Order: sequence, then structure tokens, then C-alpha cells
Amino acid sequence: MCKLYLVDDDQDVLDSLSWMLDGLGLQTHSFRSGEAFLAQVDLQQPGIAILDIQMPSIDGMELLDRITSTHSPIAVIMLTGHGTINMAVQSIQKGALDFLEKPVDGDKLHNLIKLAEHNTASCYAQRAQQASVSERIDSLTPRERQVMYKVLEGKLNKVIANELDIAQRTIELHRQKVMQKMQVSNIAELAYLMAKSDADIKIPRPSPK
Amino acid sequence: MFKSIILLLLMVPMGRGYGANDITLTVTQAAQGGVVNDRKVTRTRPLTVGALAFSAPEVVYQRWAPTLARVSKETGLPLTLVPLTPDQLVARVANNELDFIIGNALITVAFKKDYGVSHLLTLVPHTRATPEHAIGSALIAKKDFNINSLNDLKQLRVISTDPNAFGGFQIIAAEMVEQGIAPLSDLKQLDFVGFPQDKLLNYIIEDRADVAILPSCVLESAINRATISANKLHVLLPQLHSNFQCQVSSKLYPSYAFSKLGHTDHRIATQVVRALLAIEAGDNEAISGRYQYWSAPVQDNHVFALLEHLDRWPFVTNWQRLVADLTPWAMLTGLVLLLGYLHHLRVKRLVVKRTQALSDEMAQHKNTQKALFEQQKQFYKAQRVLLTGEMASGIAHELNQPLAGIRYLTQGCIYRLGDGHDELKSALTKTIQQVDRAQSTIKRFRQFCHQPSVLQDCDLQELIQDTLNLMQPDFNRMKLQPQLRLMSLSVCIDVSLMQQVLVNLLRNALDAMETIDRPQLAVLICQTEQAAHIAITDNGTGLSEASLQRLFFPFETSKVHGLGLGMVVCKRIIEEHGGKIRAMNNRELNSSDAPWATPHPRGVTILVTLPLKANTDV
Repeated sequence: MCKLYLVDDDQDVLDSLSWMLDGLGLQTHSFRSGEAFLAQVDLQQPGIAILDIQMPSIDGMELLDRITSTHSPIAVIMLTGHGTINMAVQSIQKGALDFLEKPVDGDKLHNLIKLAEHNTASCYAQRAQQASVSERIDSLTPRERQVMYKVLEGKLNKVIANELDIAQRTIELHRQKVMQKMQVSNIAELAYLMAKSDADIKIPRPSPK
Repeated sequence: MFKSIILLLLMVPMGRGYGANDITLTVTQAAQGGVVNDRKVTRTRPLTVGALAFSAPEVVYQRWAPTLARVSKETGLPLTLVPLTPDQLVARVANNELDFIIGNALITVAFKKDYGVSHLLTLVPHTRATPEHAIGSALIAKKDFNINSLNDLKQLRVISTDPNAFGGFQIIAAEMVEQGIAPLSDLKQLDFVGFPQDKLLNYIIEDRADVAILPSCVLESAINRATISANKLHVLLPQLHSNFQCQVSSKLYPSYAFSKLGHTDHRIATQVVRALLAIEAGDNEAISGRYQYWSAPVQDNHVFALLEHLDRWPFVTNWQRLVADLTPWAMLTGLVLLLGYLHHLRVKRLVVKRTQALSDEMAQHKNTQKALFEQQKQFYKAQRVLLTGEMASGIAHELNQPLAGIRYLTQGCIYRLGDGHDELKSALTKTIQQVDRAQSTIKRFRQFCHQPSVLQDCDLQELIQDTLNLMQPDFNRMKLQPQLRLMSLSVCIDVSLMQQVLVNLLRNALDAMETIDRPQLAVLICQTEQAAHIAITDNGTGLSEASLQRLFFPFETSKVHGLGLGMVVCKRIIEEHGGKIRAMNNRELNSSDAPWATPHPRGVTILVTLPLKANTDV
């Protein structure tokens, strides 16, 4: 179970919400302001944040901005006393999971929290996976990386050797090294790993030279 | 020829002529033969002498022509003789066409009075009369017929020659007037039969009339000529006059007069008078003129009295002259009145025009005032609606928080109850339903109060100017002239909502400066790539850190009677436009926030940022 953060400037509301979620068996961490939240929470860990929009100083929208700008895996649910369509649209555009009106039904919130839990976990996992894949890619030499992309394009060793103007045997050695470093046993696995990982790693290719 | 001479002799003492019944003839004859021409004339324009003639101009001409010929000869002056009827004479005299006049005593005196004619000489008649007493009237009837007074004439058949005849009518008429008789109306059977005078004597003899009015001596001369027998007729009411040989029924009056007009040169007049005085009794000129000689003018007081009596008669009153005299005055008066009336019309028109202009201006002023009033009304209406909406929002928010708490707590209870507490669970569920109901009421209330915004392109500068105009009375009261640094900048906004924002911000600024000595307010517009910025800076009391934190929260106010919604309204409106609003104390303002601002220890600056392109996704 990941951490569940509640941010609201109204202590009573904060307490009652916390009490309700506690009734559902959910542990919560309450914050009275955006500043407190930012100061105490590690944004790179999975978590769920339920944010009130109307707060002094840093309001909910701004807090959402701060969270998403750090590529945090934390799933954000916006909760407001009186929302407008404009606010809702902005929230979703900025990456909030949902935009709810206060008071929200416990069951509905519970379901949303389950979804958020899954999201933040997968997001966190994906981020971890990406991190691991990019770590492995980083361990490749430029030549190995070059060979790997050619292989992923479905080219035969002979063609690659021809294109890179090196011996076919050398290509085979590079290829073996790539499999080893990327921790895969065959080409299909490599392709799957690369496809699953982030576009940042997939798209840019090192130049042939 | 002989007969005509007799007639002329008879006419001398009678003086007064016989009515000009043929003017054309008179003028024609005057023009044809009326010039006595002296070959030795030196003057280019002949002097004109008008002679009074009643009936026979040629007779009058023959009477005076030799006299004037002699005068002309002796003086070397060219003289023209023109016989004229009384009317013609008056007309010529009025037009100054004559130089001298020969006329009877009455007309001479009348001219004296009316035209300033000077009486030069009086004729001494051929008879043995004196010039003062030369002519009178005689009432002639049959020998056996008598009357006691002029009053008796009223019932009798009276005849006369002409109403204008001097001796023949006017002298006796004046005496009648003196006795209270109006000759023309009281004498029922008065008849004017015309000339010659002898005809009237025959009328009496033939019994066609009872009494004839004739000049003195007519009867005597007829008897002398043996035209009628001496015993048939006599003079009624005879009056005795010494030195007068004929019987008369009236007073006696002077004879013919020679007069000069006002414009005639006195030297010429002197020459003429000298020549006339040189004529002696028995001269040919005197014989044909039927007189003895010319004498110095005689007293004519009694003629004046006569004139006065006669003036009472309407027909003697010189209406024509009066009219002629008055015409220019009447015309002048008319002209003045006309001018006055025109002036009156012009003034009236001007008054109407000016009144119109004034009322137009007033109407315009009224309209302007009305428009401003309307604008203000609209503004306050919008403000009311906004405030109501915002109040609803605020209340909704304030109620929403506890409601949310209740709902969370209740649902938390349900979650904790687990199985087997169905009654409690149902009650708690109902609690939640009640909360939801309250919630939906609040929500509907809020939606009801919410005004959808109408976006349109608008110039920020104009909007700010309009708003400042709207608030001018407040600025006047504070004696405050805002410093403006505006630029024309088009934005897509809801004008009435944005005006609410500006009024709120400006009013807050004014309120903050209420106790400040020298209030200063600056309004500025500037533009960056994507946004329009409005800054409103005051030098008021400023805000504490806490108030600054909660400035945009509902029901937060520092004002005694404030609702604490103004800034909330502002924030909501600005955010609805996709913009931002910030407030900061001037002392915290650094040059990166407001490069234009001069650092000031006091006061607040409100910064409003609006997107230049409408990117609100509403």
C-alpha cells in the first residue's frame, strides 16, 4: 500500500476525511498547506495526493503544477468545494487523475484511490523500468548500441556487417555482448523491453558515424 | 365786347369768383394765352402769378393781364398770369409753383395761415368804398317780402351761386354760424344755381326762389344797367355802412389782395410792388382791372374771425391739405411702426431660436446625464448580481466545508460499523442523503446566481477611462488626480465584469488612502508577448502579511461595513478570463515585478494579468 496524502487548509475537513478513509482501512498523511506537503513528501516515491484547490499561498492548482513538473509518480486527485469546468479541464490537462467536488462519496473515492494506487505503482514501476533500461543502454558501447538498433530494425548480420563495413564475425560478437548487457536471451525479448521503455530512450539513435 | 366789359366791371367789387367747373379748359387756356412776355426779359424762368377764378378764367385773365403787362414792362421781369380755380390755386401754392397770388381776402388770409403767404397790397375797388370795407353779402327778395332774422331763412327757398363764393355765400354763411345756424344743414331749401349772378335776380322775380344770396352791389349795378326795374327787389336785413354806397345784409370785408409766396425773392417782390403802386386811378390798366389803385395792406382781423367761423364747417376744413400734410408723418409713423413690428418679429424669432437652442442643449445635457446615470445603474446592478453570486459562492463554500466534514465522518462511521448494525447504517445513510440534499440546494443556488460572461474585444485603455469617469465623484472628493500611463491594447473580455474588477480595485485603493495626507494613485497598462498587464498602485495604509495571504478569500475584510467579497469577485472574474491577479505591498515590490514603479514605502500594488488571446476554454 502506497502512501495517501491529504492537503486541505481546513483542519476539520482534513480530519473527517482522514477518519473516513481510516474507516476504509487507508492510512493517510494530512497537510495543512502546499508548502508543508512539498517540504515533507518525497515526490519521487509512489503515492496518492488528494488536493483541495482553494488554499492560501500555494493553491491546489499550483501544487499540482509543482508535482507534475518533477515527473513524480504520485497520482493526484483534485478535490474542490466549487469547481468550474475551466478548473476541471485545466486540472486534467495538467495531469491530475480526476477532479472531484467536495464532499466526495467514500465509495467513489475508494475506487478512485484503488485506481490511483495502481497508477502510481505502475508509473513508479515504469519509471524504475525505464531507469533500469536506460542504465543498461548506457552500459553499451557506441558500436554495440549501433549494432543493437540495426538488429532491432530486423536486419541480418550480413547486412549490418556490410553497412557498418566490418566483419560479420565482429557483428556477432557485438550482438552477443548487447544481449548480455541488456539482460535478454533473444531478440524478441530485447524488442519487447525497448518498446515498453520510454520513448526518450527508443527514438533518438546515435548517428552511424 | 361791350357786354363783356360791363360784366367785368360788375365783377370788380364782387371779388370772389364763380367755381372752376372746367379745370381742363382753365389750364389749357392758361397754357395757351397765359403768358405776358416781355422781350427784355433777363430771367430764364418767368415769374408766375396765380389769379383766383371761379367760373370764367378768360375773364379773369383779361382783367389782370394789362396790369401785369405794365408791371413786367416797368420791372423787366417776365411774368406769367395763370387763372386758377380755388383747388388748383391751393395745389400750386402747396407745390411752390407760384410766385405771386391775386385773390380775395378770405383765400389770402387762409394761405397766410396755412402756407406763410405774405400779403403785399390790397386793392382799392373802383367804387367809392375803402379797401378795408369793400365787399359784403346781400340777401335779396321781392319788395313785398320781408324777414326778421336770418333764422327765418330756414323755411325759405334760398339760392346762391356757389358754396365757395366769398360775397355770394361765405360772408353771410359766417354770420349764420355766428347766430347758431348751420347754413348747409339748417337751410332746408338752399340751392346753388351757379353763375352769372344776374340769373339769381331773375329767379326771384320769376318766383322760383324766395331769397337770393349775392355779393353787395349786384342789385344796384343791375338797376343801374336797367336790367331790372328799381322797385321790384330789395335787400333784406339791410345794414348801414358809411362810405359804402350799396345796401348789404352783412359786415364788410377787404377787397382783393396781392400776395407773394414765402420763397419769392423780396427784391423782386419790391420791384413788383413798386410797379403796382405806380398805377393810378384812371390808368388803362386800372380801368380794365376794375379798380382805382393798389394800396398798402389793410387790417384783416375780421377776415380771420370769418375764417374761424367758416372753419367749423366740414367742407371748409382743409382735409385735403391736412391729409397732404399728415401723409408724410403718417407714412413715417407707419414706417416706424413697421420697423418696430419687424424688429419685434426678429426679436421674437431670435427668442424662439435661442429658446430652441437652449432647450436642445438642455435635452442633450439631460441625455448625457441620463446615459451616465444609466451606466451607473447598470454598473450597480451588475455589481449587485455579482455580489449576490459571490455571496452565494462564499456561503456555499463556508457551508460546504462543514457539510463535507459531516459526510466524511458519517461515511467513516458506516465503514467502521461492519455487518450487523443495519439500523444504524440506514440512519447514517440517511444522514448522508440529507447532506447531499443540502449540498445540491447550495449548488443550485450558486448556479442560479452565476452570471455567464460575455466575451468581446475591447480596448483596455477605453475601459479604464470609462471606469475612471464613472468614479470621478470619488476622485473629486479625495481631490485626487490619478497618474495614468495607459496604452491602447485590445483584449477579449467581458466588459461589465472587468469594469467591476477595476471599480473594486480602485475603490479599495481609495479606501486605503482615506486617511492619507497626499493620496497618489497610478494606473498603468503594459504589454508583454502573451499578456496584458494592469497595475494599480496606491500609497495607502498597505496590508499586513496575514491580510495579504487571505486577500482573495471570501468574507475576509478590513472594512467595517465590508462584505469581504470584492477581491474574491475580482479573482474569480480574472481567473474566468484566464488571467491572474496578485497583490503586494509596495515595499516588497522589486524592479523585476514592476519595473515602472517608483519604490514607495507604503501602499499596495495590484497586478492583473490578462491573456492577449482568449485562451479560456469556457
